[in-house]
Amino acid sequence: MSNESSVGATAETGSRDKNRFVWLLDRRLLTTALGSVILVAIAGLLQVRYGAYSMTLGEVWAGIFNPNVIFNLDAWNSFLFGSELPEMSRDSLIIWELRLPRVLVAIIVGMNLAVSGAIFQAVTRNELASPFILGVSSGAGLMILLTLVVFSGITFAFGLPFLPYEIVFRPSSWLPLVAALGGAAAFLVVYLIAWKNGTSPVRLVLAGVIVGTVFNSMQTGLFFFADNIGVVQSAIAWTTGSLTGTGWEEVRLVLPWSFIAIILAVAGSRQCNVLLLGEETARSLGMSIEKVRFALSGVAVLAASASIAVAGIVSFIGLIVPHMVRNLVGSDYKKVIVGSLFVGPALMVTADVGARLGMGAILGADLQIPVGIVTGLIGGPYFLYLMRKQNNMGQI
Amino acid sequence: MTTRQHSETRSSTDEQDSENDEQRTSTELGPSKLVGENLAIGYPTTDEPVVECNNVVLPEGEVTALVGPNGSGKSTLLKSMASHLTPERGQFLLDGKSVQEFESKELAKELGLLSQEHDSPGSLTVETLVTHGRYPHRGFFDTLSEKDYDAIDRAIDLAGVEHLRETETANLSGGQKQLVWIAMVLAQDTDLLLLDEPTTFLDLHHQLQVMNVIQTLNREEDVTVGVVLHDIGQAARFADNLIALNDGELYDWGPPNEVVTEELLADVFRVDATVTNDSVGPQITPHCAIEE
Repeated sequence: MSNESSVGATAETGSRDKNRFVWLLDRRLLTTALGSVILVAIAGLLQVRYGAYSMTLGEVWAGIFNPNVIFNLDAWNSFLFGSELPEMSRDSLIIWELRLPRVLVAIIVGMNLAVSGAIFQAVTRNELASPFILGVSSGAGLMILLTLVVFSGITFAFGLPFLPYEIVFRPSSWLPLVAALGGAAAFLVVYLIAWKNGTSPVRLVLAGVIVGTVFNSMQTGLFFFADNIGVVQSAIAWTTGSLTGTGWEEVRLVLPWSFIAIILAVAGSRQCNVLLLGEETARSLGMSIEKVRFALSGVAVLAASASIAVAGIVSFIGLIVPHMVRNLVGSDYKKVIVGSLFVGPALMVTADVGARLGMGAILGADLQIPVGIVTGLIGGPYFLYLMRKQNNMGQI
Repeated sequence: MTTRQHSETRSSTDEQDSENDEQRTSTELGPSKLVGENLAIGYPTTDEPVVECNNVVLPEGEVTALVGPNGSGKSTLLKSMASHLTPERGQFLLDGKSVQEFESKELAKELGLLSQEHDSPGSLTVETLVTHGRYPHRGFFDTLSEKDYDAIDRAIDLAGVEHLRETETANLSGGQKQLVWIAMVLAQDTDLLLLDEPTTFLDLHHQLQVMNVIQTLNREEDVTVGVVLHDIGQAARFADNLIALNDGELYDWGPPNEVVTEELLADVFRVDATVTNDSVGPQITPHCAIEE
């Protein structure tokens, strides 16, 4: 027995792989990623094919892999940098300009929310934490309502000395950014409230609840001042999360921030792992806990804010995806974060199929609902299932 | 601070003993690894300091056991040594430099602490857990270096958990878990190791295994050890020095055969016991608890 184990050890030492990413070659992680990619492909195909203008599979195929688009630098220039769109066939135009970017936005938002939720669950050491636990959603929601209701017709114009023109700032046209900034500001307020010789997970969550309660009340109060139904509907779409009408502009808006947030999240996963060993241990290992906790929260808030800026406040994705991933790949946070990058998009794209085509399939009506409603409808029962299956939920 | 000084906080009943201690003061000793002077240590929530003592020393290359009844301040003292608690007065000097002045990762390269409580997410393998011991040696984007792998292998080997390498921590027994956690602290590769009650709640076999690992580490790797032990008999058997704490004050300190006396057991542990010194060290035979 001892002989056997020592042989195993030398064999392992011999084949020790110096590759930084060798842990990615985990069977469960690869299966999860593959399954998610397939799901995204199927849901994406449905999104691209069906709608007010439906196509056959052949037309979809020809439209997506149209060499005039894929190998056309002008087209990519237009998609990624917003220049003039070149001529293309009708099918390609619908696919590439209208439907595919929405799927892309769903993928990016899914990644952001899932990673953000995973980080917050590690930071607060609570399985029930979501990207919005530290007040991000309530801050963003309040700013959305303020912008739509109070500042809707207002234009701020700043005349600057030494400059011949003045800077015009119209809050409503900056709604996505205002919402994201509101979320980040609320997070800072939560941190300030929670701080007393340092923070603790419990203090952070409680401060999040306090700030959330106050901001949500103010937000609900503002609904009374909305003067028409259109404003209310728009506010509801933003506060429940919707991908209706998203295109390349949203991709361009969200991509750089998401890229930064995701890189930092993957790099920070080892910090999450050490944090999960308990505060005492993390401190003994030389971690500056408060700094790491704040930095990780900052990354998570960045990811959440980026997704709010394009899709509004989509609930449940950030809550259930890390859960599902933990069940699938185990509790090593490196794998949880990477797994979330795949499962998040799978869930988000699938939910968006329901949001865009669901009402049409059920009622035959040409009506889209906010995707946040669908994620809630999926998320609730999934949680019920988890609750019945697992004996102890709560702390990680 | 190379000589042993005796604390003045000792009860006045054993003056004769104090005279003997004067002689001990002159005994030359090796350099001290960790020295605490004029200490008052408390928690933010308490008004009065929990521990007050003038002089605490961990001699270099020796095993020092902190003993005392529940609530006597052993763990508090240990936490303060590792800079988890900032003393209200005084400071601990590690190789002559205040532990508070160390940058947190730098301190963790010099001083390892195994806390009493630690939780591990269930589906980590033993190897992954031990790998976290390399945290202070790695930068934010660093991968594991050859040196890291060697330290991990050495730690797993020293703690005797090679056969558990691929096992998930959730499937370990209490004793195995403790050995694995010790392996993690060993991977930190520090010259000073502090352990808070590493043998409590373990069966006798695993208690001895833990103590043997500590002893091996001390003898073969020349690591200075400070360990809180509940069992004074065990402390007397394995430690080179004892620090006996009573109600937040230093009662006595020195080699086991000098510190472990019937008076100590009566005064500090409130136990009526017979102590016989034989070749192995002091043997304690407890009789009954002393009523208040």
